[in-house]
Amino acid sequence: MTALLHTGPAGETRARSAFTEGARDITPMVLGVVPFGMAIGATAGTLQIDTGPALAGAPLILAGAAQLTTLQMLDAGVAPVVIVLSALMINARLLLYSASIAPWFRHETLRRRLVLAAPVIDQLHFTCVPRFERGDLDREGRLAYYSGAAIWLVGAWLTSQTSAMLVGASVPDAVGLRVAAPLALVGLLAKSMTDHRGVVAAIVAGVVAVVGTGIPFHSAVLVAALVGIAAGTLAARHTARSDATITPTGGNAEVAS
Amino acid sequence: MTGWLVILAIGLGSYVFRASMFVLLGDRELPAWTTTPMTLVAPAAIGAMVVSMTLTHDGRTQLPALPELAAMVAGFVVVRRTGNVMHAITVGLPVFWLVSAIV
Repeated sequence: MTALLHTGPAGETRARSAFTEGARDITPMVLGVVPFGMAIGATAGTLQIDTGPALAGAPLILAGAAQLTTLQMLDAGVAPVVIVLSALMINARLLLYSASIAPWFRHETLRRRLVLAAPVIDQLHFTCVPRFERGDLDREGRLAYYSGAAIWLVGAWLTSQTSAMLVGASVPDAVGLRVAAPLALVGLLAKSMTDHRGVVAAIVAGVVAVVGTGIPFHSAVLVAALVGIAAGTLAARHTARSDATITPTGGNAEVAS
Repeated sequence: MTGWLVILAIGLGSYVFRASMFVLLGDRELPAWTTTPMTLVAPAAIGAMVVSMTLTHDGRTQLPALPELAAMVAGFVVVRRTGNVMHAITVGLPVFWLVSAIV
């Protein structure tokens, strides 16, 4: 992905520092996903699944919650169509992250955008979008920042999973690796609730996820997320406070007025 | 063989989700009304995932065990206070060990 850093001599130093900055900013999230990856790897080691597809799941799916669900359902002998639908429902949020990240790269070539899309995931969205919204990175700076964050995150994710899977189930359960997965998500959740709209969105989504538990194919998560977003948006309308957010166009847009 | 097909299908589908807006949007802008909903994607999606991962099991609602619950509450509070997501793990895991040892 370093091939994305086509910069002239003038912008090279700046791009390099943005690359390092991206890697540095995502480091706390990387430290959160490593135990999550190890937990999935160790779990996969204990299941009755061929090592090939279990290993391939890490780079191909590149999303922990969906991968964990997939491995457990494969192990339980669930019908393949049901597994695929369930995992895709869990990953449907990637469509929403795609919509939030893509506008920042809309001036790139299609080929480059197709590469940039590959690592789209929660942690990358959290690290990059708020940074881009500060508005002081130019096109090359954003590319460099995003690449630095993505390479470090994906590299650590794949390494942690693969090594845990190869070491196998020798990691004792008392270490609590299985708690690492929800803990990593709880950290992201706490970080993502930046204002009262976020709090409303998260609470409503959580409630709907419980109420909708019985909906087939794990679609409760997707339905809950959509209802939560709608609720948070409505809450924003009822706020007197207005704040300005920098949009991908570089201008200021009045929201929540 | 089934395992490979399932993983490949999910991987392909996930990439289509990821690439969708990078392709469809082209060099157009998103309409202004999408700004607020976009900022709410993360809290809503992750809130739903956390809840479904910890409160539901095989399509039924179920309270998590005390050590797990304590770890998650502690992790949440510390991250809110410090703003550093890493502490969900660095504080949450020791709380899990401690409460597991006591209970």
